[in-house]
Amino acid sequence: MARCWFFAALLLASTNVLADESGWRTSWDGTLYGYAGSMSPRGDSILNPGNRIARLVQRSDNLEARFNFKAESETMRVTARPIVALRDERNAFGGQTRHEAYLSQYQMRVRAADGWNVAVGREVMNWGAAQFRSPSSPFYFDNGRSDPMRELAGMDALKLTWTPDMRGSFNVARIVRSGYGAAQPDMWRDSWLAKLDLRGDEFAYGAVAVKAPNLPAFYGAHGQMALNDAWLLYGEAGSSARPTALQSPADAAQPFAVQTLSPRRTTVLVGATYTAEDGKSLSAEYLHESHGYRMAEISAYFARATASTLLAAQALGLSPRLLGRDYLHLVWQSNMMESDGYWRVMYTRNATDGSNELGAYGETTLTPQLSAFAMGAWNSGNARQELSSLFTRSVTLGLKVALP
Amino acid sequence: MKPISKNMLAAWLLCAASSAFAAPDAHSILKNSDQARGGGLQGIVWEIRLQSRDGAKMDEPQRIIVKAVDESSVAETQEPVRFKGSKLLQVERNMWLTKPGLSKPIPISPRQRMSGQASNGDIAATNYAGDYDAQMNATETLDSEPCYVLDLTAKHKRATYDKIRYWVSVKRGVGLKAEFYSVSGKLLKTARFEYDNAIEHDGRRIPFVSKMTIRDALIDAETTMEFGTVKVKKIAASEFDLGQMQ
Repeated sequence: MARCWFFAALLLASTNVLADESGWRTSWDGTLYGYAGSMSPRGDSILNPGNRIARLVQRSDNLEARFNFKAESETMRVTARPIVALRDERNAFGGQTRHEAYLSQYQMRVRAADGWNVAVGREVMNWGAAQFRSPSSPFYFDNGRSDPMRELAGMDALKLTWTPDMRGSFNVARIVRSGYGAAQPDMWRDSWLAKLDLRGDEFAYGAVAVKAPNLPAFYGAHGQMALNDAWLLYGEAGSSARPTALQSPADAAQPFAVQTLSPRRTTVLVGATYTAEDGKSLSAEYLHESHGYRMAEISAYFARATASTLLAAQALGLSPRLLGRDYLHLVWQSNMMESDGYWRVMYTRNATDGSNELGAYGETTLTPQLSAFAMGAWNSGNARQELSSLFTRSVTLGLKVALP
Repeated sequence: MKPISKNMLAAWLLCAASSAFAAPDAHSILKNSDQARGGGLQGIVWEIRLQSRDGAKMDEPQRIIVKAVDESSVAETQEPVRFKGSKLLQVERNMWLTKPGLSKPIPISPRQRMSGQASNGDIAATNYAGDYDAQMNATETLDSEPCYVLDLTAKHKRATYDKIRYWVSVKRGVGLKAEFYSVSGKLLKTARFEYDNAIEHDGRRIPFVSKMTIRDALIDAETTMEFGTVKVKKIAASEFDLGQMQ
């Protein structure tokens, strides 16, 4: 945390110094958030009976400040995004107040030569057009969906980029470690990344390879194509082995088995977005996750978890990143370019076990600097289905103030 | 062979002379007028202030900084402050929206234009000579200024409008008025231009657009864009790379 504050103070000081030097431009802005969240854990949950295993936060009050600092010249750009938060979290077992201060992202980028840039810092390495999940990124498969109010923190990396023209770029990066808040042990520590991006008249696509010391290489690809002013087609894919895999034989009489390295599997997402004349858009995405379970394996997974709290904890802690194999995700949203408000409605169906989730987000501008927002998620299904296995609904209400 | 008579020779010389001193062709007029709106330059950085009115309702003023080279542009919002740092990147026909804190850039459809009457094509550098076939149909006087009237037809899908009727000043070589039409020929918008800015180009000082007023032809709505702090300079390709937007 001390390093975070040191870097932020240094950047703030440098913005004043640099502003006096010719050729440097400096700026800062920020947003203050105040929001309260409520979640209803499932009373009859199999994976988290009585909320005793996951101890999900049932009520939270949050104050958060997110800042952006930038200083740039013709050849160098320095950016930082510090986040400071105060969280009061409660559930049936008690409450706690937590303070957080960290750099979500920061970067120093230098134009080393014509077409060549070197960047060092913490960067969110996420790409592709998909909204539900990001199968083409090894670092952010979840795409921030599991905690929508929390920003993705970047990966600490040194990156060399070659950009010969506007139609393409090639990146090589040394990933030093995962950024703030990463799970330990850090599977991406000391890994290498190579990424190629190409853009044409109506398409854009890219390919990525990442090699971590203790994992087989990850290969990913993403692409998008604008058919016309209204239709966008896109897709993402990733081929990877997971560091651990909980095997769930279809025969519930057999026990769980934990594999230290999963077989290589492929995850594919295809999607299409239709934009109406007024800018509202409807997106439909289908995801096939080969790391997930088939229906019989899901049934056996929940059947085993009912046997004991220990098995339930094992099932919850080591479950695949998505339990099922096939998912449908629909998003209907307002025109993102409008300045006086924004809303989106999301529907997700786990086509393997039939569970559903309905989500919504809405934001309205009260004054030029003050906005109010609301977010909710409702799950339908029973305790033996993925999307309804832990909670039935969650609601967040909040205000945000733009600075300065 | 029958010798050419004096009368025929005189007529031929007159024709040749009139061709040599004829008005420039439509494409040249268009290409020249593009420069005063950022087209055909090595790169341009400009600040745009937008103000839109929809009936009696005035939208919030917007201030954006645009970097543009040919068909590529990045528009970074400065105001309203709650959108500061949002960037709209256009490379060819692809567009993305990025914001600080967003999990990843979002692809944007051309239909998701900026609020008000301004499209992304209006805030980027104008390259009508590259995007449209031009035909000169007439000359007209507009506000006491003789103008060529050009009919423009989109060459490809990434052009912002299907058809444009464009009034270019004979004397100053800059576009003064434009009417934007749909494929079916319906008038969508009308724009007027002012040129109180100036830039250095090829060692000479040329007028540069300072204000664009766009009026909706179908409803009572209007957007004014004021162009300030214009800089002509080479812009690195990395400025238009989605992976380096941080």
